Amino acid sequence: MKGKVAGIILFVSLLLLGGCGPREENILNVGMELAYPPFEMTDTEGNPTGISVDMAHELGKFLGRPVKIWNISFDGLIPSLKTGKIDIVISSMTITEERSQSVTFSKPYSKAYLALLVSQDSSVEKVEDLNRKGRIIAVKKGTTGHLYAREHFPLARINVFDKESSCVLEVVQKKADCFIYDQMTILTNWQKNRDTTRAILKPFQKDFEYWGMGMRKDDVELHRKVNEFLESFKESGGFDRLAEKYLKEEKDTFEELGIPFFFSP
Amino acid sequence: MRESDREAPSPCPSTLLNAFLVALFILLIFIFSFSRLEYDFHWAGVWAYRAKFIRGLGMTLVLSFFSLIVSFLLGSLFALGQKSRFLPFYFFSRFYVEIIRGTPLLVQILVFFYVIADAFRVQNRYVTGVVILSLFAGAYISEIIRAGIDSIGETQLETARSLGLTLFQQYRFIIFPQVFKRILPPLAGQLVSLIKDSSLLSIISVSEFTLNAQEVNAYTYSTLESYLPLAVGYLLITYPISNLSKRLERTFSYET
Repeated sequence: MKGKVAGIILFVSLLLLGGCGPREENILNVGMELAYPPFEMTDTEGNPTGISVDMAHELGKFLGRPVKIWNISFDGLIPSLKTGKIDIVISSMTITEERSQSVTFSKPYSKAYLALLVSQDSSVEKVEDLNRKGRIIAVKKGTTGHLYAREHFPLARINVFDKESSCVLEVVQKKADCFIYDQMTILTNWQKNRDTTRAILKPFQKDFEYWGMGMRKDDVELHRKVNEFLESFKESGGFDRLAEKYLKEEKDTFEELGIPFFFSP
Repeated sequence: MRESDREAPSPCPSTLLNAFLVALFILLIFIFSFSRLEYDFHWAGVWAYRAKFIRGLGMTLVLSFFSLIVSFLLGSLFALGQKSRFLPFYFFSRFYVEIIRGTPLLVQILVFFYVIADAFRVQNRYVTGVVILSLFAGAYISEIIRAGIDSIGETQLETARSLGLTLFQQYRFIIFPQVFKRILPPLAGQLVSLIKDSSLLSIISVSEFTLNAQEVNAYTYSTLESYLPLAVGYLLITYPISNLSKRLERTFSYET
């Protein structure tokens, strides 16, 4: 019995040691925060799944490297990338000039259409009503909506939250005039709160925000290959397949409403 | 005689030398670690947001200042409550301490802001923030004070009673002077915790120091560059408290 226990302890410590030791050279370590369905999420058994995960595996196939997905929270993603613990971040990151100073982005693979979830009592009818003194806008930290609000509504008060659910609650409880996020999130949250909110789903951006994969600035080789991959993936209809697999319902809803849909590179 | 008279205020050479050696040792570890770090620091992007950091630090200072005062008052009140013979007050105090200490601050903030404050039509998230923080820290402070009072030996109180001191006089002349010194170290620790816990108010979008640093990180993707100033900033606020507590400890120490 004692020998058995000792054996298990030895085995586990070896496993742990293996985890700490030098990684296999060839593995493509992909970092993402699995908290943004249907792009980055987990299935019922806890395995990573979603559009970004499938894209990571396709990228691995293209590069001829096995893929390992690391679920890392947003605050840890960039340090992990910069210190070489992961090679690439595929986590629905919006490309900005400012962020490009710190990491290199691939070519855009998707663009985000923003939408508004408006509090029932608020006088906001269109996006032009937002840039006024006294308006309160709820945003999720670090999202496209956050960046857009900061740039376009300097007169309004912008309240920044960690979670999407807090933003929705703020609108429902009339603490905020509206919540800015992508169309899909706004649509689902409006469907859950029809009595207290309105949704403005029609795209209003003049310049779209694009999503890219993030890499280290000095990793020129990978950067070139990733761009090649995106090119060929687009040509072979890969994005359409992914949209069909993960976004079918949403796509149909938006087609019914006659509004352009957002997953279109 | 007071201890502060015995201990010379200027530190002797050996103290200085040892402090220097410790500082040098820690500095070397940091220099070594950072030299091994393959991290491409990019300070310019974060430097552009220095005003944002300063505003956040200011907000944390203001929140902490009011929370420190209110939590100390609440803590004292409920410490007396736990010693009270008036049963409703006693039970309420026990209940308060157990509920607050047994539940996560995160949940308290969410419930207090979105449920309780909303029902009472309190919309100001900064006022709500100070109230939540004070309630939270107050429970711990209450326990610290109660423990301090309990630590006074029964014989002292018996002696005081036999000398005919009233309850007020017992507290004023026997209990408090001793309790104050004993509770200073845990109290200072609790106040330092309170200041750091104020960062959790970011979940209800109170624009304090941590939230501002997180926002800068989101804008620039320069994580370490955004968070290292955060550590320095909190240290700047908390160190004076630890320091003040040590001074007070010296001032209030009596020979027994």
